[in-house]
Amino acid sequence: MRCAEASSGGFGWPGRFGPVQRGERLRLGLGNLLILPTGFGLLWLGGSLLLQLVGIQTQRNGPLLLSYLMLSLQVLALLLTHFNLLGLELRCARSEPGFAGEPLTYPLLLSSRHPRHAVHVRLAGQPVDTAAPAPLRLAAGTSSVELGWRCRQRGLHTPGVLLIQSSAPLGLFVCWCRWAPAAAQAVVPARQRGPVALAQPPRPALGRRPLDADRDGSEHWHDLRPHRPEEGQARVAWKALARGRGKLSKVFRDRAGEKPLLTLAAGVEPEQALRHLAAEIWQRSHRGEAYGLVLPHQQVPLGQGRRHRQRCLLALATAPGAALGTARGS
Amino acid sequence: MSRTGADSGLPPRHLQAVALVALAAASVGIDPSWLLGALTLALLVLAALKLLEARDRGGRRLVALLQLLVCGLQAAQLPDLLPSLVQLLAVVLSLAGLVQLEGGVTAPWQELLRQSLQVLAAALPMALVLFLLVPRLEPLSAMPARAAGQALTGLSADLDPGSIASLAEDDSPAARVAFADDRPPAPQQRYWRVLVHERFDGRRWQRDEAGETFDAGEMADAPGSAALQPDPEAGSADTAGRTQVWLAEPSRFTAVPWDGRSGSADPRLQLLPEGELRLRRPPIERRSYRLRPAAMPLNWQRQPPGPGTLTLPAGSNPRLQALGRSWGQLAEPAERIAAARAWFESSGFRYDRRPGALPRRDGLDQFLFQSRVGFCGHYASAFSALMRAAGVPSRTVSGYLGGRWVVPLGGASYLELRQSDAHAWSEVWLADQGWLRIDPSDWVAAPAEQGAPAALLAGSDQGLGRWTWLQRQWWGLDMAWSRWWLGFDRSRQQALLAWLLGARRGALGLVILAGLALGLIAALLPWQLWRSRQQGDRVSRDLAELLLLLRRLGLQPLPAETVEAFCRRAAAARPDLAPSLERLSRSHGLRRYGRPAGQDRRAQAAEWRRTLLLLKQARPGAIRQGRTSGP
Repeated sequence: MRCAEASSGGFGWPGRFGPVQRGERLRLGLGNLLILPTGFGLLWLGGSLLLQLVGIQTQRNGPLLLSYLMLSLQVLALLLTHFNLLGLELRCARSEPGFAGEPLTYPLLLSSRHPRHAVHVRLAGQPVDTAAPAPLRLAAGTSSVELGWRCRQRGLHTPGVLLIQSSAPLGLFVCWCRWAPAAAQAVVPARQRGPVALAQPPRPALGRRPLDADRDGSEHWHDLRPHRPEEGQARVAWKALARGRGKLSKVFRDRAGEKPLLTLAAGVEPEQALRHLAAEIWQRSHRGEAYGLVLPHQQVPLGQGRRHRQRCLLALATAPGAALGTARGS
Repeated sequence: MSRTGADSGLPPRHLQAVALVALAAASVGIDPSWLLGALTLALLVLAALKLLEARDRGGRRLVALLQLLVCGLQAAQLPDLLPSLVQLLAVVLSLAGLVQLEGGVTAPWQELLRQSLQVLAAALPMALVLFLLVPRLEPLSAMPARAAGQALTGLSADLDPGSIASLAEDDSPAARVAFADDRPPAPQQRYWRVLVHERFDGRRWQRDEAGETFDAGEMADAPGSAALQPDPEAGSADTAGRTQVWLAEPSRFTAVPWDGRSGSADPRLQLLPEGELRLRRPPIERRSYRLRPAAMPLNWQRQPPGPGTLTLPAGSNPRLQALGRSWGQLAEPAERIAAARAWFESSGFRYDRRPGALPRRDGLDQFLFQSRVGFCGHYASAFSALMRAAGVPSRTVSGYLGGRWVVPLGGASYLELRQSDAHAWSEVWLADQGWLRIDPSDWVAAPAEQGAPAALLAGSDQGLGRWTWLQRQWWGLDMAWSRWWLGFDRSRQQALLAWLLGARRGALGLVILAGLALGLIAALLPWQLWRSRQQGDRVSRDLAELLLLLRRLGLQPLPAETVEAFCRRAAAARPDLAPSLERLSRSHGLRRYGRPAGQDRRAQAAEWRRTLLLLKQARPGAIRQGRTSGP
């Protein structure tokens, strides 16, 4: 799903022309790069013709040579501007979820065998404050770029059309390519304070340990016990080992039953209820509290920490609208 | 004026401001009353205002373009060495300003100048191909010039020696001339004619000033005027046998100094029937022109005299007229001239630069028969009037005599003419010889303290000030520049094309295209080499080679894995390569983090190459190849 439409906003005229390339990876080449003289380039041509005329009229070498020099610079600029983008490779990097209506960053990786000057990478249809007007100076190798953008709708969204453009070194030609990166970014419902319902956690059966008591994703440290080889190195308590207490494993356990599971508030419009949940999750996470999430399409058990919060927010972002409506009806 | 957000990402204006200052300094010699001069100054002011006003990248780009245009217009008006150097500096600064604008960062000015010079050097081969080979067009129409201006330094339109009590010692430069073989002309050949005065009113000798206010096309239409034509067959040891490059200082006259015998293919040069060579340039501009040898006497030398060349106002200078008429009894004009010479030599005339003014009426009579003291103008005026009275067509010519031969430390040797070298002489018409130069100043004695006019023939560097010495060194460079730069005109281009293509002129287009392609290759090849050098240092390239080698063996580094860890893992996977990999890992660490210098660095690079070679030889493919090729 594309959040920002392929408009020409903020691009100038190059943003309106040329096919839009698609995919998670783009290598700029002869097939997808376009190049045209800028308005300044046309003025430059006029200036060189004027000097040619002056040279002919006065029969002087100076204006003639300068006129030819300007023409040669124009030919050279055509190639240098094109070469500045030719061979540049762009890839989508792993993006972090962000809130709808707030600034998002869309990461890209730019790989180049050569240094490149003044490369503009901008997203279409974005407000000025999220655009990236400063040109990039890329060193040889891989560089990462984070593009600012905004999206008003929750879900998995692509940022729309990206314009990769350069007019270096002299600004006489503009070379560009339009690309719609395919990697989607999770957009979480906007945070809005409001009522949130609490669901009771399921009671464990007799003789059984609480559900997912020490499952992955729980980050609440509970105890230490002697290390068993099958537990791997991740749970080894290195600090204790360093203090000479032997090889011990950390035991994590969710405090199920002690904290609530958050769910949609009854009587609130589903999308708004999601926004309330987003605000609640954010606040609880910042307070260091444990919480869980119960949605019609997905349940996230109790837990805490950054990864847990990301799971919950991702669940909010991807909650299908139809399921929400059904749940509310029932 | 508040700065808006639009210019927040723009680099500072300093570079473009410096370029404007350079252009403003170079504009000092521009004549604002000429159309081109006014346009130049207007564009300069416009660029300065735009620089102050510009708040976005487009505005600042426009400033750079305006600067380049001003450079070009200045080059059309001020082609000398110093202005040309300033113009070159301004071009480099303007391009650096553009590069800075596109980069959008505040790079050090040295870096910007370097990039600007790189771009300029890359474009230069193509520009030179076009400059040298694209055929030049004739001017589409004559440029409008400014109205006749005030008199600058130089000669006077009227020769009126009687009104001059003493000659001013004006030592300002008048002209410089360089010769193809860098040898000075013989002293007797150093008469450089400029103005020809044919009308005599009893006191003043006047010239025909038609064409001095050069309106469009007037010169070409002047009756009897013709372009000088070169004669490639000509050649002799005197000045007419050698190509000359002239640089004449600004003057209000279109007439320029020349030797009276050379030709030229320059269409701007027009030769008048009386022997004046005229070149249309604005009065404030220094004129430069090339003259070439001409084997045959030029037309002006054989141009029959008009009736005006015998005219003497009735009743003026009666004693002069009587003396002249007495010589008129002699049969041959040559005898009359000889009689005049004998009379001057025997009558006690004395050369003096401060003779005092002569009366307005019958002034020449007083000079010839009473005071007998005067300078070149007196003698030329009196002798020419005497010849007219004797029935020999005559006129006076003013120009320069002598000059100082300057051999600078660098650049071209040249003959330097100053205003103090100004001289006047006579020309008489002899039916069998045409117009013949007679210098009556030669017939008189000169006081020791002032020096005879002939003494001007020999140059002397004695008593030169340091400033004059420096000035002459600079002029030597300037002369060399002019000979090379101003010398390449349409005719030289035609000669070059003839030499290149011969009769195959139809192939010129192809030659230009081929030249452009070569120029483009010459521009891009170093650029590509530079880019490839930027791919990383030697250690990084060596590491990339190792990684490529291991990748072919199916070993890939993991994300965030160090070189050492990767080599350990690879050694575990391929125990046969373990020794080499261990050495390479250690060598890489030493080269990357130990940063050895000099001999150590070279030794470790050699160690790396040897080990990598071992690794290559240890690959299965290499081993198999060794087995199959062995006995």
